[in-house]
Amino acid sequence: MGVKRKLKQWVKQQSAEQWREHLELLTDEVVTAARERHVRLAITGLSQSGKTVLTTALVHHLLQSHKGRSLPFFEPAAQGRILSVKPIPEQCSFTFEQALAGLTQNPPQWPASTADLSQMSLAIHYRRAPGLGRLLGETATVYLDLIDYPGEWLLDLPLMHLDYAQWCQAQALLWQQSPRAELSAAWRQRLAQVDWFAPADDALLADLGHQYRALLQTLRGPDYGMSLLQPGRTLLPGHDDPEPLTLLFPVIVGVDDFSQQVPKNSALAEMKRRFERYRDELVKPFYRHHFARFDRQLVLVDCLKTLNRGEACFKDMQQALGEILQSFHYGQHSFLRRLFKPRIDKVVFASSKADHVTANQHHNLDQFLGLMIEDAQRQLRFDDIETQCMALASVRSTQAATADMDGQVLSCLKGYRKSDGQLVALFPGEVPTQLPEPNDWTDERFRFVDFAPVQLPTHDLQPQQHIRLDQMLDAVIGDYF
Amino acid sequence: MSGEDRQSDTSQSNASQSDTSQSNDKATAGESAAREWRSARYFDPAAADHVDPAGSDSPYQQARDFDPDSVTASPEEAEEVVVPQRPRRRWARLLGFSTAAVLTLVVLLEFYRLIAWALTLHWLLGAIVLGLVALLLMSLGVQCWRSLKGIRQLGQMQALQTQAHQLLQSQGHGQAASWLKALKLHARSHGTANELQACLDQLDSAYSDQEIVRYVEQHGFTAQDAQARRCVQRYSIESGVMVAFSPWASFDMVLVGWRNLRMLKDVAQIYGISPGLVAQATLLKQVLQTLAFSGLSELAIDAGTSALSSSLTTFSARAGQGLGAGVFTARTGLQAIRACRPVPAAGRDKRLLDNVASGVMERLKKQLKSTR
Repeated sequence: MGVKRKLKQWVKQQSAEQWREHLELLTDEVVTAARERHVRLAITGLSQSGKTVLTTALVHHLLQSHKGRSLPFFEPAAQGRILSVKPIPEQCSFTFEQALAGLTQNPPQWPASTADLSQMSLAIHYRRAPGLGRLLGETATVYLDLIDYPGEWLLDLPLMHLDYAQWCQAQALLWQQSPRAELSAAWRQRLAQVDWFAPADDALLADLGHQYRALLQTLRGPDYGMSLLQPGRTLLPGHDDPEPLTLLFPVIVGVDDFSQQVPKNSALAEMKRRFERYRDELVKPFYRHHFARFDRQLVLVDCLKTLNRGEACFKDMQQALGEILQSFHYGQHSFLRRLFKPRIDKVVFASSKADHVTANQHHNLDQFLGLMIEDAQRQLRFDDIETQCMALASVRSTQAATADMDGQVLSCLKGYRKSDGQLVALFPGEVPTQLPEPNDWTDERFRFVDFAPVQLPTHDLQPQQHIRLDQMLDAVIGDYF
Repeated sequence: MSGEDRQSDTSQSNASQSDTSQSNDKATAGESAAREWRSARYFDPAAADHVDPAGSDSPYQQARDFDPDSVTASPEEAEEVVVPQRPRRRWARLLGFSTAAVLTLVVLLEFYRLIAWALTLHWLLGAIVLGLVALLLMSLGVQCWRSLKGIRQLGQMQALQTQAHQLLQSQGHGQAASWLKALKLHARSHGTANELQACLDQLDSAYSDQEIVRYVEQHGFTAQDAQARRCVQRYSIESGVMVAFSPWASFDMVLVGWRNLRMLKDVAQIYGISPGLVAQATLLKQVLQTLAFSGLSELAIDAGTSALSSSLTTFSARAGQGLGAGVFTARTGLQAIRACRPVPAAGRDKRLLDNVASGVMERLKKQLKSTR
């Protein structure tokens, strides 16, 4: 009797829509899983960490991987087992040609920052490795799905498990820290003057929302480089998001006790409603449709940005990454599990822009990345997930060179500076393997400038045009071939 | 870029990784001695040289003149090299030496008596015997020289392998140049330099030492690997089939031994190790040692799974023995490849064993069908 009741309860809890979705996915999966294999690769990274460039470069190299030249460490390509790769047009909303055109034109340009969600699907036709697998057929196909999206939206994922009161309390703590505290003084003063239990004044709320958005934009800007900026759609609204929802902000002063009874038409109740709508109408579908069903994950981290900006930026990014990674499902894969509740069973952490440091610093960059993701990695290890750290550059924009300094030979980089297009040779400093002391974060120690891309050929790609893109690919999806 | 520049760059990058306190060198020491890091700075792009990860093409350092005043004398203490104490084996060595001397003396004496005896019979016979003895001594000398060369090359291979192992463990950057240089020298000595050079041209300056070794391992010896594997496969199938169809059980051992020795020689030659008796014996010793230590049980499992997976039920016990001999030969061949390859191959052996097993089965089936 107990089991029956429990089952009934469980069935009730699942909404009809979810059931239908499950069923559709199930039939879909059973049909396809027998014939071919799908990999959904999550390219996770905060804004400006290089997701779009990576997706573009990855697709560009993969489309030419049957030549077996540019990806020497990606085993199926190096062994000449990839027969052909083609995009599946029906499932591609990612403007690959446009992004690639920017990199292949003269002078080349980095793609513009992503403002909307798009998908890229590739069918990789390959010859199986010799062995028992050949019994299933000489050749097979792997489908690789990649998703490109604004990194700002990623920070909404932690909101799924919170209610408005919890979120406000977490934000109140966050906004007490420097440099947020100083910057937000005026806005907080205005918040304190509002009577949150009085009837809502839409104009006032909108005004406060605009001010909050401006604050977030300042914090994201080049002076501070903060990462943990919620809600993401306030910072970067989607093109058909309802206006009031994108002006959501936390009430961090003026309300001490969220648990007390609130009048229905009050400002606080209105904010609560907006938060719930934001969470249920924007964040949850976004997660369900695009983020719930990944098999492998690549986490891109821009470590150099934090070294340039200092400790506050480092801590902020660390916290942001930790919160984001909690939103994904990790665990061992099994066939049944794949059908019902897919999980990520392999994670690669990559520090992007490895071409912006000299090659002998790559190992240090790995270690510094390890420092940043220490907490996140602990959880993954607990779930028995394979993790790996590597420094990579999806499009290589500098050349290694050596320079003479007071009779000593120093490795340095040669490339075109992004800001003014000037050719520079730069020794950008050594990447520390420990968190530097506060007085060591100086402008003199680290000078990781952004470089403009080097023109990418449309054909005849070489391994020199990327750094460890092939090793990343092999680590992430190599075992599918 | 000359070799010396590269060396100093190497040592400097090494220092910056292993010990940051050492990296406050002349350049920064003047500015602030307390600082442990080197500050970032710009250079003139035109003055910056390109980096070639494989090192310059010339394996030798160029000769150059130095001003006598600018060089510093090396300190005298460095000359006093401490000789490691070896265990005293004077009597054993004396025994070996005296035995060899007596035997050589006896042999030479016998030769002399043989020639003298032949000469007393007839001068023509004497001349023939003299010629034969001279031929024997000459071929013996050539064989000895070849063996020595082979032994030296085997030693070189082992040194290259150990260095590759060390590089694979290291996290550094820029230490692989000497290894690559030795590799190139070896390749040049037996005419596979072009293939290796084509691989080294693809090396990227961003690769760490570990990646360079992995790259060379995967891409530097593809032609030789394919050749060696074909060779091993051919010999294994041959010996498998021979054992399966040989009428005398005692003859099997000789057959397998013979095929194995031939295979060792061929594999060594493919990887550019000159064939000589002593080198072959050393190689055989190495291979047998690894085989013994890898465990007979593993061998049995390999043979067993291969047999089970290929519907052996219809075959006789002789066929099973043949399969076993084939897989054993394949394993020996793989060990030989491992010993002769300058870079240790990373786990692709299983496939070859499967191939060999299925190859033996195919041949056996064909033979049985044709005899029926």
